[in-house]
Amino acid sequence: MREVITAPLPGLDLRRHYGHFQSPAIRAGGLIFCSGMIPVDPHTGERLHGTLTSEAHVIFGNLKLLLEAAGSSLDRLVQVHALIYDSIEYNVLNRVYRQYVANGPPARTVWSAQIEAGFKIQLDVIAAA
Amino acid sequence: MSLPRAVIAPPLSGLGAKDAFNRQASAAVRGGAFVFVSGLTSVDPATGEAIRGTMALETQRILENLKLILEAAGTSLERVVKVNVLVHSMLEAPNMNEIYARFFPEPPPARTVCGARLPHGAKVMIECTALAPDDEP
Repeated sequence: MREVITAPLPGLDLRRHYGHFQSPAIRAGGLIFCSGMIPVDPHTGERLHGTLTSEAHVIFGNLKLLLEAAGSSLDRLVQVHALIYDSIEYNVLNRVYRQYVANGPPARTVWSAQIEAGFKIQLDVIAAA
Repeated sequence: MSLPRAVIAPPLSGLGAKDAFNRQASAAVRGGAFVFVSGLTSVDPATGEAIRGTMALETQRILENLKLILEAAGTSLERVVKVNVLVHSMLEAPNMNEIYARFFPEPPPARTVCGARLPHGAKVMIECTALAPDDEP
């Protein structure tokens, strides 16, 4: 069945802070589908704009918390969509990304899109439960 | 033994491959435990013709069509696990969100929203993944 993964820390409840009609993650069919991850303080929910690098570090930290709360982990990522604000920072993305998914990295697609609140990066991921 | 893979027959001809997707896609396909729905833009479900209007109108039309498609697949909005919403401008995300909240149940599925350039002047496109019906014994 379909099980909601609630925010492990209050800052990760984007519905409460920003009115986004979504759950942080859903577990179903042996997979964990995560809502798009943005760089917010995991305790307060405040937006943490910065460089692509700093935003990516915040996102990965939040994602680690969320996946571990769901009984999974960054090592169990299967698919990542990395949305960046401009492809000019593709190499910057790679430099920070590989710090988190070094061994047997998941499938990944990168494209540039308009991200909420002017963030430079957003990660849309699926992990194995 | 391989898991089922089946094209879902569209509930109305306007949502079929020929009318809505220019023969390039099926509206929905079952793969194992999931039903995968193509990115939907606002179309008349009877004819497949584009219906363009405000963000709210297009979102409403898309989600009404999505409901029909999911039901044709033996599933429902309640069994949706993940939604990806593409909007022509993130400035209009709140307008989409307001209509969206009327269709999905509590607790809502996971979701990612981003701004993108959409085909044919569409303001919004929505794709989703849902749990397939529990028909295994």
